[in-house]
Amino acid sequence: MARVGVFVCFCGANIADYVDVPQVVEEAKRIREVKFAIDYKYMCSDPGQQQIRDAIAQHRLTSIVVAACSPRMHEKTFRKALSDAGMNPYLLEVANIREHSSWVHQKDKKAATEKASDLVRMAVAKSIANEQLHEISVPVTKRALVIGGGIAGIQAALDIADARIPVVLVEKSPSIGGKMAQLDETFPTLDCAQCILTPKMVDVASHPYIELIPYSEVLELQGFVGNYKVKIKKKASYVNFKTCTGCGACWQKCPVKVDNEYNMGIDKRKAIYTPFPQAVPNKPVIDAEHCTMLTKGKCGICAKVCEKGSIDYQMQDEIIEREIGAVVVATGYDMWDPKPYEEYGVGRFKDIITSLEFERMVSANGPTNGLPLRPSDGKVPKNVVFIKCVGSRDEAKGISYCSKICCMYTTKHTILLHHKVHDSHAYVFYMDIRAAGKGYEEFVEKAQVDTGTTYLRGRVSKIYKKGDKLMVRGEDAQIGQVVEVEADLVVLATAVSAPKDNPDLARLLGISYDKYGYLSEAHPKLRPVETAKAGIFLAGCTQAPKDIPETVSQASACAAKVCGLFAGDTMKKDPMISTVNTEYCSGCQNCVKVCPYGAIVTDEVPFGHGSKELRTVAKINEGVCQGCGSCVAICRSTAINLAGFTDPQIINEIVSI
Amino acid sequence: MKKLTYFPGCSAHGTSEEFDKTVKMVMTSLDVQMEEIPDWNCCGATSAHTMSESLAYALPLRNLVLAEKLDNSTMAIPCASCYQRLKVTKVHMDDNPELCKEINSTVVEDGIYQGKVDVKSMLQYCFEDVGLDAIKAKVTKSLAGMKLACYYGCLLTRPKAITNFDSPEYPMSMDKIVEALGAKATEFDYKTECCGASFSISNTEVVINLTGQILEMAKESGADAIVVACPLCQSNLDMRQPDIEKHLGKKIDLPIFYFTQLMALAFGMPEKDLMFSKHIVPVEGALANIGKIVPEPEKVKKTRKAVEAESEAE
Amino acid sequence: MITLGIQGKNTFLSDVNKRSGANVLECYQCGKCVGTCPVSGYMDFPPREIMQMVKLGLKNETMMANSTWFCLTCSACSGRCPREIEIPSVMEAIRHMAIEENYINGSTKVKEIRKFHEIFLDMIKRYGRNYELRMMAEFNIRTRNLFKDMHLAPKALLKGKIPLGVKPMKSAKAIQRMYKLAEKLEKKHTGKEA
Repeated sequence: MARVGVFVCFCGANIADYVDVPQVVEEAKRIREVKFAIDYKYMCSDPGQQQIRDAIAQHRLTSIVVAACSPRMHEKTFRKALSDAGMNPYLLEVANIREHSSWVHQKDKKAATEKASDLVRMAVAKSIANEQLHEISVPVTKRALVIGGGIAGIQAALDIADARIPVVLVEKSPSIGGKMAQLDETFPTLDCAQCILTPKMVDVASHPYIELIPYSEVLELQGFVGNYKVKIKKKASYVNFKTCTGCGACWQKCPVKVDNEYNMGIDKRKAIYTPFPQAVPNKPVIDAEHCTMLTKGKCGICAKVCEKGSIDYQMQDEIIEREIGAVVVATGYDMWDPKPYEEYGVGRFKDIITSLEFERMVSANGPTNGLPLRPSDGKVPKNVVFIKCVGSRDEAKGISYCSKICCMYTTKHTILLHHKVHDSHAYVFYMDIRAAGKGYEEFVEKAQVDTGTTYLRGRVSKIYKKGDKLMVRGEDAQIGQVVEVEADLVVLATAVSAPKDNPDLARLLGISYDKYGYLSEAHPKLRPVETAKAGIFLAGCTQAPKDIPETVSQASACAAKVCGLFAGDTMKKDPMISTVNTEYCSGCQNCVKVCPYGAIVTDEVPFGHGSKELRTVAKINEGVCQGCGSCVAICRSTAINLAGFTDPQIINEIVSI
Repeated sequence: MKKLTYFPGCSAHGTSEEFDKTVKMVMTSLDVQMEEIPDWNCCGATSAHTMSESLAYALPLRNLVLAEKLDNSTMAIPCASCYQRLKVTKVHMDDNPELCKEINSTVVEDGIYQGKVDVKSMLQYCFEDVGLDAIKAKVTKSLAGMKLACYYGCLLTRPKAITNFDSPEYPMSMDKIVEALGAKATEFDYKTECCGASFSISNTEVVINLTGQILEMAKESGADAIVVACPLCQSNLDMRQPDIEKHLGKKIDLPIFYFTQLMALAFGMPEKDLMFSKHIVPVEGALANIGKIVPEPEKVKKTRKAVEAESEAE
Repeated sequence: MITLGIQGKNTFLSDVNKRSGANVLECYQCGKCVGTCPVSGYMDFPPREIMQMVKLGLKNETMMANSTWFCLTCSACSGRCPREIEIPSVMEAIRHMAIEENYINGSTKVKEIRKFHEIFLDMIKRYGRNYELRMMAEFNIRTRNLFKDMHLAPKALLKGKIPLGVKPMKSAKAIQRMYKLAEKLEKKHTGKEA
C-alpha cells in the first residue's frame, strides 16, 4: 500500500494570495493513499525541506508530492531532500500550482484552489506508480566551442583555455576583436581600447589550447551536452595562411577599392585586405564579391606581387567538423540603422553621423587621423550636437528597450571632442542620464564640469538645413522652452540591436531567442549565462545590451560554467529516457524519424528464441536521449516506454480526475 | 477611360476656383471622367471636429453615402482638409461598425454606408492611379527652368495610419510629379510643417508666424515658386504673403501654384485658362524662368561627369 | 504649489483615456511633441505638460487651458511620438469634455477661435456649405472687429480670389435634420439626455 506525503507551499504570497493553501491540504488529506499533508511558507527553504525529510522517516512514506512552483525551478532541490532522507529521489512528483494555477488565475481564488487540488490529486496518483530510478553516467568531450571573437568570445576562450581545456574559437570576419577593436577610448577610465584589447587578441592566437578559426561560421550542431558535434564552414580566403607572411604587398597593389567596414565606410579598403593593422590573424583575405579576378577573371595583380605564391584563386569553402562538449555563444550586437528617423533627415544630410562613425573618426588609428570632420566639406566642426536614444526607448521607430551603453559612450564622446577640438562646444539632447555602474556617475559629473557640455533635456523633434548648418530643434523641458541649436555636426547615439543572424543561429543550436532577436538565458536572475539547453552558454551582448565590464564578467562566468561541466570524466544525466521493448517493436522506424536528437538507431535481433533469421528493431542511445517522449507518442505498438512517464503513471493521472 | 468620383469641397466655388478648374482640365486631358457627388455638403472642416464628435463624422458620412450611389470605386478630393475629414470618417466607420450604425442614423434618409468607395486626395490619385509615366506622356511644354518648393502641409500624408500615403515627414510624390513636368524640385525641409490652417481668420497672428517660416525656408531652398495641393495652404501662403513680408521685414515674392495649374501648363493648355490672375502674388516672374536654363559651368560639368563615371564603374 | 494628497482613483485620467482611445500613462515626458508642435509656443501648457497634468488629475487646470483650443490637429506630434500616443485625440477629448462641462477659457483668443467654429457650423447648418466671404464678414461682426483683414478685401475681391456669389446646396434640410440627430447622439453619450 502506497503511503504518499503531500507538501503544499505558500511561495510567500505568490501562491497563497490566489490559492487557498490550507484548503488544498485538506483536499489532499481526503485521498486514501495520502498519509501526511502539510503546508509551509517556503517549502524550498531548509526548514521546509527538513519537514519533508522528517515526514519521510516518521510516516514511512513511499512517495512524495510537493505542490509548489515549476519543477524547472526546484525539482532538483526536492529530489536532493529525498536523497538526504534515504529515499530514491525519483519518487518525487512536483505539482506546479504556481505557474499553472495561482499566477494565471489571479482573479478567481475559488477556481484556482480547485485547480490546485486537481493538480495535487494527479501528482499523488502518478507518484503511486513511480519507480526507483538511477542517474546515468555519460562520457564527456572536454573541448569547448566559442562562437564569436569579440571581447566576450576572446575572454571566454582565454579563461577556458587557461584551465587547459581546448577551445575552438569561430569568428565570422577575417579578424577577431569585434566592436571593441573599433573603439577609441573606453568609459569610465578612458583606457585606450586597442591597448587593452590587442594583447588579448595576440594571446588567443598564440594560446596552445585555442584553435582559432577565423572567416568561418557554424553550420550545424548535433548531439547533446558533453557530446556535441559541430560542422564549421571555413569561407575561402583565397590566401594560403600557412605560407603568407602578412607583408602587405598584395593589398598595397590591389586596384579595387571598397567601403571600409572597419572605418564605417568613411574610407576605402582594397578587395584583398586585412581589416585593420592590428588584426589577428594578420593575414589578408580576398573579398570575393568585389575582387575582379574572381568576378570577371580580370586582374590577378595580387598573385603576381606575392613572393610566397600564397594567392590561390581556386580555393573553395571548406567544411570542418569538431567534437565538443560545450558551446559559448558570443555573437555580440549590431548597430541599429537610424533610417526611420526621417524627421532628422537621416540619409539626406551628410553631416549627421552615428556614434560608431564618430568613434572611428576620433580614433588614433581612424580614417581622419583622430579628428572629427564634417563629411560634407571635411571641415572641423565647432558646434556638435549629440542625440541620445536614437532607436532606443522608441516603440514607434525603433526598439522599446534602453540600450544601456549610450549615456556613457556619449559622455565619453563629449570628452573626446573636447580633447580633439579645443574650441568646440558639445550639446547633448537626453531624456535621462543612466549612469549606474562603478565610477559611472562620477565620470559623467567630471565630464560635464570639465567640458562645459550643454545638456538639454528632451528628444529632438526635427533637424533641418540652413545654409551649411544643421538646425536641431527640441524642447528643453528644464526650462520648458523649445530650443534650436545651430550644429556643424550631429552625432546619433544609435541603439544596440541584436545581431540579425541570431534567430538562424538559435534555431541551428536549438536554443530560444526573444522578440528582439537576443538569445534567451535560462533564468533572468539565477541562471543568466546558461540557456535552457544544457551545455550552451551566453556571453555578452548576444543576450542583451551591456557594456565591456559586464560582458567580460559574463564571459568569465561562462568559462566557469564550462570548467564545472568538464570537471569529471563523465557527466550525470537524468534517467528519464526511453527504452524499447524489442518483443513489441515492429521495426517500422517511425521513432527514428521523429527523434529530434538522433538518439534512435536500428538493431538486428533474432526472430524468435534460437532463430537464425534477424529482424530490425529500434535501439535507443541512452547518452543521447533527452526524454522528450516523441518516440513514445509515435510508436504504434506501444513498444517504447519513457522512464518517469510510464503508461501506468499517465493513466493514474488521468483517472484521478 | 478611367472613371472617378469627384468631391470638390466648398472652396472649389470660392477661394480655390482655379484648383477646381485645372483639376477638371487635367483630368479630361488624362482621359479620366469625373462625376461630381450630387448635392454634396461641407465636410465640417476643422470646426466640426473641434466642437462635436458626432457632427465631425456625420457631415463627411453623408458625402460618403452619396458617393456610393455613383458606380466608381474611387473618390478623389482636391482639398486636403476635406480629404482628411472624409478619409478619417471612412477609416473609423470601417473599423467600428457600432459607431458607424449610430452615425449613419443621422443621415439614414440619404442611404446606408457600405464602405465601397476608396477615398484619395487628388495628389494621391495623380501619383498612384494616373502615374508619372502617363503624366510625362502628356507634357508638351516642359517646365524646365522652374525651381519649385513642393509644400504638402499636414493633412495629405498625416496621420500615416489614416492616409497610408507617402511619407509623413518628407514626402516626394508632388516633387516627382513636378519633375515629371520638367521642373526642378528643391530640397525643402518645411514641406510638411503646418501653415496654421483654420486659424487664418480667427488667429491670424499664428498663421502669419507659421507661414512666414515656411516661406522663408522655401526661399532658402532656392525655389522661385511654391507648389501646393490644398486650398487653405494656398490662400494662407498667397493671400497673407504681403502681411507676412511686412512681418518679416523682407520681400518673399514667391507665387503659390496648385500642382494641377502647373500640370495644365505643361500639358500645353492656354495660360489664360489657368486663372493665374486670381493669384495675389504675381506669377509672371516665376513663369518667365521656364526655358531659362543656366548652362552648367565647364568645370562643374567635368567634375560631375567624372563622379558619374566613377559611380558607374563601382 | 500643488498638494497631491491621498486621493481616490484618478477619474479624470480614465475619462480622458476612454474618450480619446489613447493611453496618457504611456507618456514619458520626452518633449518631442513640444518641439514638433507648431503652436506650442502659444499654449498655456504645451502637449507634454498637458499629459502630465492629466496624469496628476489636475482637471480644472487642464480643462481651462487654451492648449486644446490652439491644437491644429496637424498630427505632427503623434507621428513622432516614440510611445505612439494619439496626442491630437487627447487634446480633442479634453476640449469636448470642456465644452460639455462648461469650462470656459475667457481669453480673447480662445473666445475668438471658439466663435469662429460656432459661426462656421452655423453657416453649414443653414446652407450646407461654407461661404468664405460671409464667414469672414460674420466673424468680424460677431467679434466686433469690423475692419480686420479689410486691407485684403479690395485685392481679393478685385482678383476674384473670394467670389461674391455662391452655388447653393439643394437639400440643406437634410443637413438641419442631421444636426438635430447628431446633437441627440452627443447628449446620449454625455449622459445629459433629458
